[in-house]
Amino acid sequence: MSHYKIIFTGPVGAGKTTAINSISDIPTVKTDAAASDMTKNRKASTTVAMDYGVMNLDGGEKVHLYGTPGQERFDFMWDILTTGGIGLILLLDNTRADPFQDMRFFLDAFDKFIRSTAVTIGVTQMDLSNTPTIADYHIQLEKMSIKPPVFAVDAREHNDVSLLVQSLLYSLDPGLQGE
Amino acid sequence: MKKAGSLPIKVALYGMDSRSHKTMELYLKGPCRGVAMAVDETQAEIDIIDADFATAGEILAQRREQTPERPIVLLSLQPLRVENTHFVQKPVNAEQLTSVLQKLKAEITALKQPRPEQQVQASPAETSGQDSVVGDGAASAKPVATAASGDQPKKAKKRVVFEDNEGGYAAFLGTLSNIDFNNPEQLRNASFDPRVYFLGFVLSAYKVACHENRALQLNSIWKPLLIFPKTRQIWLDADDKQLRAFAGVEQTKSFASNIKLVAIDAETAKQGKAVDKFQDMDVFVWKLTIWTSKGRYPVGLELDQPVYLKQWPNFTRLLLTPDALRLAALLLQEPRAPLDLIKVLNVKPQYVFALISACQSLGILAKSQRRVDQIVVPEPPKQQSKKKGLLSRILQKLLAD
Repeated sequence: MSHYKIIFTGPVGAGKTTAINSISDIPTVKTDAAASDMTKNRKASTTVAMDYGVMNLDGGEKVHLYGTPGQERFDFMWDILTTGGIGLILLLDNTRADPFQDMRFFLDAFDKFIRSTAVTIGVTQMDLSNTPTIADYHIQLEKMSIKPPVFAVDAREHNDVSLLVQSLLYSLDPGLQGE
Repeated sequence: MKKAGSLPIKVALYGMDSRSHKTMELYLKGPCRGVAMAVDETQAEIDIIDADFATAGEILAQRREQTPERPIVLLSLQPLRVENTHFVQKPVNAEQLTSVLQKLKAEITALKQPRPEQQVQASPAETSGQDSVVGDGAASAKPVATAASGDQPKKAKKRVVFEDNEGGYAAFLGTLSNIDFNNPEQLRNASFDPRVYFLGFVLSAYKVACHENRALQLNSIWKPLLIFPKTRQIWLDADDKQLRAFAGVEQTKSFASNIKLVAIDAETAKQGKAVDKFQDMDVFVWKLTIWTSKGRYPVGLELDQPVYLKQWPNFTRLLLTPDALRLAALLLQEPRAPLDLIKVLNVKPQYVFALISACQSLGILAKSQRRVDQIVVPEPPKQQSKKKGLLSRILQKLLAD
């Protein structure tokens, strides 16, 4: 059976694990460990290998949901995880010092994958920090000559994460219909 | 993880006006994934009371008297400790509410089983040992903005819950059907002029406020609208139902003659204002446009001329109309004429026109200047059938959840 994947990436604390949990049909398999580097300032524990969830489709097919480790020193995992992926969900934490830098970093790191698939950006923690605004993100993205969906999201909300994934699918094919 | 399907818990809602009641019904159905359903008080297993409601104390006493065995859940902005009740703090978190309801349901089920030694015990973590009055002063008062609250009064920024799309939208997107776009009369009826609606005055006022970079108050024969360009917020003492009704009314000349735009001091104006009446400007303009449009297109838009979107609308926080994501995705990929969109995606004209109208109001719709876009109508992108099938199944799964 084919191995279909949607990849969730983004910096530490952006909500990747939570987002996967919001739409997964199984309890998310976590590989958290106590943070040992600068990450510990933001989270007590963090994902060191990957998070894993599953969406069960009609007919027994599964879509595997993978969350990349947030810490950059695990970036060797990223290529492995994206191979054969349907698309990328990039989550950004709006309370971080420079979310634009995070965005550029991840878009650049996954550039090859994005060019062959699609990317959707979810901005989390906007209730705590309302700047930069979604419009500001679009201005930055325009400089990079791309127009992906950028939504304010609460990773705990199924509906927000669902809309992120839906926009990813429609970016790949606007002709899709959900029956 | 999503919750497996089971019979929804029957809950009765108290201390909520019709809009809040409807919102909570949809919240239970949507974000809480159908864990509970709102029913009449005679059928309920659990009572949910908005403890911030003015007469919440009386409601609580009444519920205790009428159905003393029924568990009660209190919702409040302020932490409450009320004996034999279960508390969920606002803004209500779906997981927390679901967890409390499921726990109570399990207790009810256990109680119904023939095990006399077992009694319902309220959770120490959620139930207070002290008795007190619901909403001790601060809790019962509606939150208001103060000088100390700064420029950004905290408020829920969730997308407007509108889960029952087709039924709900029919109320304001159902005015057009089977339009003959070759018939000038029918075509004219399918358009609207924002300038003769409240929307037009709001858009003009917001433009002025942004240009002058100062807060303004739009006075009319209706409720005053306060515009805060620095924080991109508005304040209006009207609920969505009232706004929706007013949005659709074509304004007379006397309305226009009574319009006044006055400068206000932002900080002073915010003081004492109910926090829940502040709204994000884009969210407000988006829904106001959709309710004004009623599925019609704005005058000036040529239906056979290609348009495109400069960026994706922030759909997680906006009133979502049917097919909005598909339409946006296509308009982001390449310019398309509105009539072409209807055919290519096989969607109702009113869905196309509502989205285009809202995007135009937000300033993210543009007309294509390229001559080639008017001559060559590209085929919609086609995925390989196997992949298309997979993507459709994923989409179907997400829409069903």
